[in-house]
Amino acid sequence: MPERVLMEGSAAIVEAAVQAGCRFYAGYPITPSTEILELMSVRMPQVGGTCMNAESEIEAIGMVWGAAGCGVRSMIASTGQGISLMQESFAELANAQIPIVAVNMCRGQGDYFQATRGGGHGDYRFIVLAPSTAQEAADLTQLAFHLADKWRNPVMIMGDFLLSHTSEMVSFAAPALAELPPKEWAVTGAKGRRGITLSPLGPSEKLSTDVAAALANVTAKHSAIVSEEVRVEHGFLEDAELVVVAFGFPGRFVKYAVRLARERGLRVGYVRPISLWPFPRHAVASAAATARAVAVFELNAGQMIEDVQLSVLGRVPVVAIGGISHDHSGFGVGPLLNVEHILKRIGQVYSGKEDP
Amino acid sequence: MHASGALEAKDYKSDLKPIWCPGCGDFGVLSALYRALANIGRSPHEIAFVSGIGCSSRIPGYTTAYGFNSVHGRALPIAQGIKLANPDLLVLVAGGDGDGFSIGGGHVPHAIRRNIDITYIVMDNQIYGLTKGQLSPTSPRGTHTVTSPEGSLEDPVNPLLYVLGYGAHFVAQSTPADQIGLTAVIEEAIRFPGFAFVNVQSPCVTFGDPNQQLKAHKEGLKSLAKINYDPSHRVKAMALAQTYGKDLYTGVFYRNPNPPPTFDSLVRERQRHMAPQAMPREKILDTFLPH
Repeated sequence: MPERVLMEGSAAIVEAAVQAGCRFYAGYPITPSTEILELMSVRMPQVGGTCMNAESEIEAIGMVWGAAGCGVRSMIASTGQGISLMQESFAELANAQIPIVAVNMCRGQGDYFQATRGGGHGDYRFIVLAPSTAQEAADLTQLAFHLADKWRNPVMIMGDFLLSHTSEMVSFAAPALAELPPKEWAVTGAKGRRGITLSPLGPSEKLSTDVAAALANVTAKHSAIVSEEVRVEHGFLEDAELVVVAFGFPGRFVKYAVRLARERGLRVGYVRPISLWPFPRHAVASAAATARAVAVFELNAGQMIEDVQLSVLGRVPVVAIGGISHDHSGFGVGPLLNVEHILKRIGQVYSGKEDP
Repeated sequence: MHASGALEAKDYKSDLKPIWCPGCGDFGVLSALYRALANIGRSPHEIAFVSGIGCSSRIPGYTTAYGFNSVHGRALPIAQGIKLANPDLLVLVAGGDGDGFSIGGGHVPHAIRRNIDITYIVMDNQIYGLTKGQLSPTSPRGTHTVTSPEGSLEDPVNPLLYVLGYGAHFVAQSTPADQIGLTAVIEEAIRFPGFAFVNVQSPCVTFGDPNQQLKAHKEGLKSLAKINYDPSHRVKAMALAQTYGKDLYTGVFYRNPNPPPTFDSLVRERQRHMAPQAMPREKILDTFLPH
């Protein structure tokens, strides 16, 4: 394979998954994630894996749950609407500590709450990673399989229409990741082991009746994930009077807008959360500590802004400078994702013309 | 285990005590299942047993097999994922009529048309027992329940006709009142190469029809083995299946004498066929170019 190849973000995710050892995929067509299913139908059988064109998102996530329960690295992809249909299984497989990787190629960025809070029941959390380039999508996909197995917790890759369909140069260096212990909990047919029931009610003990103890055991790892798995990029923060927070593909637009603002003499910096859960709370808080205000650019009605507010804790004003923005199809991005527009909004907040 | 090394029914029994109501039909399904598994002789660690939600879905926990206690109606998708990821496992699925023909009913046709080599045992009691007696998809028209106090207004699903209509290659029915017959059909279903369906009329002693309990089954059942029935014709089986809800025929309704290859075997074949295309790695880029 050449050092670097030109491919869409969807293809980069597929190839990275293959190289990470993913050998089971199930999906259902939905724009803009369908390419992942199409490419997987070629790549999985080539490497001894299985790709299922499922009857629905509900069947697809059930199949992935079953395959992952056998210890096979397994992935599913969809769009927020399809991810909605998987929420019951997401909640249950998270509580049963079954590691899967789920990709959400959102329409806009409206699925931030769905990804970080979840639409399912109970106390589960997904680790959520939001790449901004095809290269980062490849790297984070490899990392996602590692984190899922390491924590026995589902990991979501959150992209969007642009990430899915933009072709960029990508390389696939094998990541330096620590070796993980064998999956002794898996349904592998290993002789001499006690039968295991993979259930939210006690993953290693058959149908425990102590629900509270089982769920407390599953959620105990959350605080360790919060302290160990935060990932964030930032720039121009040293003397920044205004800090702009943005994630995913639009995070690239914000980076560029911030650079232009700097060229025009504005003291502006940016924070780009890479892990949306755990949210880089300390990075946002320390950036805000020396700033006059924090602006949040996201393509929704205001979702990540709540995490930013929880980080800033009222020390400076937090202003929304994004908004819902779609193209005519509803799948792609709209007019708000425009560097000149972002720059204008940054200028308004910077000059104090816009109060929260 | 027997001194000879052969597995016995008790080797499949876990130390968890069933919490079904005394007199529940599911006890008899469990004991027939233990015996069928012992006859087949696969070790518990080679078996994955998947269920959804309901009284009968507790059954994997009462065995020494690997188990998945999953979500309501989703046992079949999970079982298919298991069989495709780990084809060496013997995969069993069990659940109730609600799990299989209400909330999970949409998954049944697709498991059937793929002909994945799994065995699906439905404990059909025509009522929602776990939630204390609501209308089920197989409740006869006019059934009085807490959610149909004046009698239900709709016809029941006919599980036998349902799976025959979608092309299932092995379809049987039995009752725990006939332990020998039930053990035999479960064993035959497991041995069948492909998707096999067993509808077990397993009465709910607490909320079910008092006139349709095990005693009535014992007296009223009509064994297909005793009437010289040939199970190799789908259309004849569909005619016989029309008796569902009226007569209790037990035995194999339909067994395709020439079943098609299983989906899991075709997947392995596809992998062998496509593996050479995965190399050399320089070619991977071509995969992503338009044809």
